[in-house]
Amino acid sequence: MKRNLRFYFALMFARGTALVLKLIGRKGTSMPGSWAIILCPDFIGRMPKPKKIIGITGTNGKTTVSNMIEDVLEDNGIEFMCNRSGTNVATGVASTLIANSHFFGKPKCDLAVFELDERSAPNIYPYMQPDIVLCTNIFRDSYKRNAHAEFILDILNKEIPKGTKLVLNGDDPLCSSIKPENDRVYFGIDHLDTDKKECDNIVNDVPACPKCHGPLVHDIVRYHHIGRVHCEACGYRSPDIDYLATDIDTKDMKMNVTVGGKKSEYPLLNSTNINIYNALAAIATLREFGLSEEKIRNSMEKMGISETRYSEKEVNGRKYILHLAKGQNPIACSRAFENIRNAPGKKSVVMFLDDYFDARHTVENTAWFYDTDFEFLNDPSIVQVVIAGARHHDTYVRTLLAGVPAEKIVHMRDESDTPAAVSKEADTVFILYDVYTIRLANDIRDKMIEREKEGETK
Amino acid sequence: MKIEVLFPEFCNLFGDAYNMVYLEKTLPEAEFIRTKFSDDVRFTEEKMNLVYMGPMTERMQEQVIRKLMPLKEKIQKAIDDGTVFLFTGNALEIFGDYIENEDGSRVECLGLYRLYAKRDMMHRHNSDFEGEFDGNVIMGFKTQFTMAYTPDESHGLFVKNKGVGLNIKAKYEGIRVNNFFGTYLVGPILVLNPPFTKYILNLMGAGDVKLAFEAENMEAYEQRKKDFAEKVH
Repeated sequence: MKRNLRFYFALMFARGTALVLKLIGRKGTSMPGSWAIILCPDFIGRMPKPKKIIGITGTNGKTTVSNMIEDVLEDNGIEFMCNRSGTNVATGVASTLIANSHFFGKPKCDLAVFELDERSAPNIYPYMQPDIVLCTNIFRDSYKRNAHAEFILDILNKEIPKGTKLVLNGDDPLCSSIKPENDRVYFGIDHLDTDKKECDNIVNDVPACPKCHGPLVHDIVRYHHIGRVHCEACGYRSPDIDYLATDIDTKDMKMNVTVGGKKSEYPLLNSTNINIYNALAAIATLREFGLSEEKIRNSMEKMGISETRYSEKEVNGRKYILHLAKGQNPIACSRAFENIRNAPGKKSVVMFLDDYFDARHTVENTAWFYDTDFEFLNDPSIVQVVIAGARHHDTYVRTLLAGVPAEKIVHMRDESDTPAAVSKEADTVFILYDVYTIRLANDIRDKMIEREKEGETK
Repeated sequence: MKIEVLFPEFCNLFGDAYNMVYLEKTLPEAEFIRTKFSDDVRFTEEKMNLVYMGPMTERMQEQVIRKLMPLKEKIQKAIDDGTVFLFTGNALEIFGDYIENEDGSRVECLGLYRLYAKRDMMHRHNSDFEGEFDGNVIMGFKTQFTMAYTPDESHGLFVKNKGVGLNIKAKYEGIRVNNFFGTYLVGPILVLNPPFTKYILNLMGAGDVKLAFEAENMEAYEQRKKDFAEKVH
């Protein structure tokens, strides 16, 4: 797209906005990009772009995988721009391009890594063709924005450019079906001790063969629709895997990844299934970008999962774990609940699931509770469930319906009352929080730790 | 007591499958027949106390219409005979006249009542709804791509107090034809509204049964009523 006067005006206005924001000490905002797109709707299309662009999309894990990819690139001294500190919608992409460009828009580096919101695809891909797009998975997500998995799949199929190489989750029948005509590689996991034959989750977004709608045979069920399937009616089957994770060793925290018959060892950052997929997705994308296995491995040895997603502290032998449970996202919360159930020892679960904004201004649509596997909390190893927030009565009813005995549950309106409610019986206290309540969760965790140190835990 | 749940493997969006789980917990002795899409429906051949269908994707909606169209007369008879139906989300559009796409093309539906829906796939509607039914407050949430229109609102199900009815201007939400109840409200509606659930159970012939976790659920309902009064406009 040609650059016209309107584009340059938008670019200069956005630069001015960025300067003002910098002067008043505000960072990581998408406001410059918002102004650029308001003033020039096809701004991203007109803006000069780096020679190579990697896009990371999908329902769950895209932030974690983007962070991993960026950390490995940085560790290897590769210059790139990314939207890590901004948003993953069109305005965030525009802001990143502006912030990393010379005065008239020429990019300052040759590589961009963009985390891309899948719902925003119609506002991004028509203006920017990534060389590689990684899709981590496709699931049911926020009802408000994303409706259902088929809607998102249709958007990606329509909008992802024809020439873009795809890195896809081969264990996800929805994700692996994206843009069948595009060049692609698949990643997947060979075997896990936790593999099942039947889905025990409420949500299964692939209830029938994606090709003929006939009954699917599940060879492996990992969680929800993730696993290996085939259809006896039409011959459809999960694709052959190009990046296959094998020999998952959660004791020594390592795995092998086989590519073209060659096996290489990589470190595991976290032992949960979703984080094994996240690490594998990052490895596959970086290899497709052209980074050697040795460079990736060496960098991954130094990494950890971002503290905004998961962090642990131990006081007097009791662990306090902050665990993201993305609100209004039934799959992310179900994964969190299953991780907690599978964690060793006796556990208390403190839940701040309410949407921060809805809790202040309206009544949140809590229908998503009923797509979420609260049933995982009904386990002898979970000795207490503490619920707090505006919708605590609704969460309490959902937890009771999941079979958790009433005597194990306490619920209250005010989150600041939770530290006093946590039982001493647990070895580990999990604090679940939404993206926008991380500060609250941190504060509450600190108060719990203070009480622990002062010996006030019940 | 027999309850047929239509195509639960597909018609289960927005947590609405839990409408039936809640009834199962309330009626542990009842027989729940979960009819898969590949199976024949049962309610046209035998008496059911309730027939339930939940929200689905737009492509699935068209497949369900194709499957049920040949049974149109039998379905009409079941409605006329007083069988209780509860259809939630876009399931209610299936027995209406048609669904209109953005380009003006139409998906013909079963035509059992005068209602049509207009799709707008790039502008999703989300809102909170508060209304009235049988002297009680009814609450729920709307999350949908369609607005529905009907030439006469005499079949309106819930009188609107707050939020959006069948469409922006409608005074009613949902549709009731004999004992057919269709509503866009998700929540799930039977968990969120104990008085409405009791009404449906009575109509089904279950009598005045105690709901699963009735006391706790009523407390949540009363608190939600206060929150709707304070925060929903």
